[in-house]
Amino acid sequence: MKQVLVYLARRLFTSVVTLLVLTLIIFTMVKVIPGDEAHVAAGISATPAQVQAMRIHLGLNRPWPVQYLEFLGRLGHGDLGTSIVSQNSIASGIRQVLPETIQLVLVAMLIMIVIALPTAIISALRRDRATDSALRMGVVLSSGLPIFWLALVLQYLLSTRLGWFPISGALGPHVTVPRATGLTLVDALISGKLGALVDGAYHLVLPGFVLALPFTGQLYRTLRTDMIGVLDQEYIDAARAKGVSGATLVWRHLLPNAAGSAITVIGATFGMMIGAAVLVESVFGLNGIGEYLTNAVANSDRFAVVGAVLVIGVVVVASSFVVDVVQLIRDPRLRAGQLAS
Amino acid sequence: MATLTSRPSVDIRLLRKRLVGNRLLNRVVVAVVLIVLFCAVFGPLIAPKSITTSNIRDALRAPSLSHWFGTDDQGRDVFWRVVAGARESVLSAILIVAVYSVIGTIIASVASVGGRVVDETLMRITDAAMAIPTLIFGLGFAAALGPGLRSAIIALSVTGWPVTARLLRSIIQETSTMPYVEGARVLGVSRLDVLRRHVLPNSLDVLIVKWAADIGSTILVISSLSFVGVGSQPPSPEWGAMVTEGQGYIASAWWATLWPGIAIAIATVAFALLGDVVQTRLSQGKKR
Repeated sequence: MKQVLVYLARRLFTSVVTLLVLTLIIFTMVKVIPGDEAHVAAGISATPAQVQAMRIHLGLNRPWPVQYLEFLGRLGHGDLGTSIVSQNSIASGIRQVLPETIQLVLVAMLIMIVIALPTAIISALRRDRATDSALRMGVVLSSGLPIFWLALVLQYLLSTRLGWFPISGALGPHVTVPRATGLTLVDALISGKLGALVDGAYHLVLPGFVLALPFTGQLYRTLRTDMIGVLDQEYIDAARAKGVSGATLVWRHLLPNAAGSAITVIGATFGMMIGAAVLVESVFGLNGIGEYLTNAVANSDRFAVVGAVLVIGVVVVASSFVVDVVQLIRDPRLRAGQLAS
Repeated sequence: MATLTSRPSVDIRLLRKRLVGNRLLNRVVVAVVLIVLFCAVFGPLIAPKSITTSNIRDALRAPSLSHWFGTDDQGRDVFWRVVAGARESVLSAILIVAVYSVIGTIIASVASVGGRVVDETLMRITDAAMAIPTLIFGLGFAAALGPGLRSAIIALSVTGWPVTARLLRSIIQETSTMPYVEGARVLGVSRLDVLRRHVLPNSLDVLIVKWAADIGSTILVISSLSFVGVGSQPPSPEWGAMVTEGQGYIASAWWATLWPGIAIAIATVAFALLGDVVQTRLSQGKKR
């Protein structure tokens, strides 16, 4: 038990170091990029004196290392600065929109698993037959689809033309839920509004599917390869000889043994999906951090861009820590292996 | 392989069919890559001049024999714009991958010869840079540099190296324990020379496979940057910019959005599969 804690502490430490380096990279990025921050912050019509005042106000006249420490200090207080455009706190702006993105990504991950798992099982069980080849081909093709294009095409086809799904937004026009967590679905659930829950979920089906599809291939491939590896083991032949078949084979042998690398892939997908959500949110009118970032970019709202990029980095680092912990809890072999080293 | 199995272990007919099928697929992949490259180099030269000028009288024509992919809202031929657009989408992807591969190789090399502290520092930086999704990193950087294809190219070149660096460093570590490398070290060859003469050349085949696939995924990212407004700007025929322009009138002319997207998908998949083809060829070459 003590060894587990030591491992966790060490893993937490590397995460913190990674985060510190991340802040350093982003700080450097802001510094080396051409353009005067004080000028930007003071506004286009500012006089030289105002720019100078802003420079002192922002502490830009001090040496870089001092500025970096101050930057870290502000981050420690959760202060990401003020948006040049809206004059609002960037941290609270991002706190408003981040849950929306996380919800979208979680839904997309669910859809990804729902597609990848059965297809991988079928492929593994019917290896090298026509079904397997067709699935593998489909997966290759789907991983090359540009997300923003897929979003536009499916939105036009399934929502605008066929009317199967809502065109955009997180909820229907007359549906509201009191905000508690910021995750619309969870908020609807805890306030007991089942109608809103269904409506919110319905709005997320198409965006979630679009976000999931290009990432499904990797999970499918990992699961298929692992399951085929398991199927080639002699104990599977022994189990089959004993008459074990179908569902028991899949549940008892294939899934538990393929879960390890699948969880790693799913974990890595989380970060990539947060990035790709930028493209999906803008098409489907979802007010997430991607939309926040795109707007900040369009408005040249430099500090808001930095804040959003930083928060996304933090979320990704945190998620990879969580994945490692999940692996540790799940797989006793891993626990033993890591503790031995 | 156990013999208890009820499946036939080798089906000669199936095996032959698969091999032929794969060879055919490989040829198709190489052919598509060559066509895409041809369009990238010569597309803008052979396309009619009218692809950048507007001709409202011909606007929003559906696909027909005279306009294979139809025309857009400015009356420009979508087929020729897709052909000419290959240059911006594909050549810039190749350039970006080339630049960041060099950066990644340098960082991995320095990390592996520079001793423990240098190694640890560089790998922490790599990990941190990997924590930011490529698209977001590129978006932040390109936004700061101002919109345009040039910004997108710089941004992606500067931010794309971490995965290459990580991969190459682990390959270098693996290769370094090979007997012939240890032999060279014993003979007194310097670390840098061992790296340059033995380790790097032997790590190349993994990297070449990765580069091919990277070109595919970079085409995706470049077009995505155009879509969010920081890459190529209209009226450029870059594929992502074409999709962006087309979305405004998708209801009256779906073809202006559809075809550039399919072009992106085909180019991406072709380059990704090219990686597999190269890998097969390399492993066959080794066997001989």
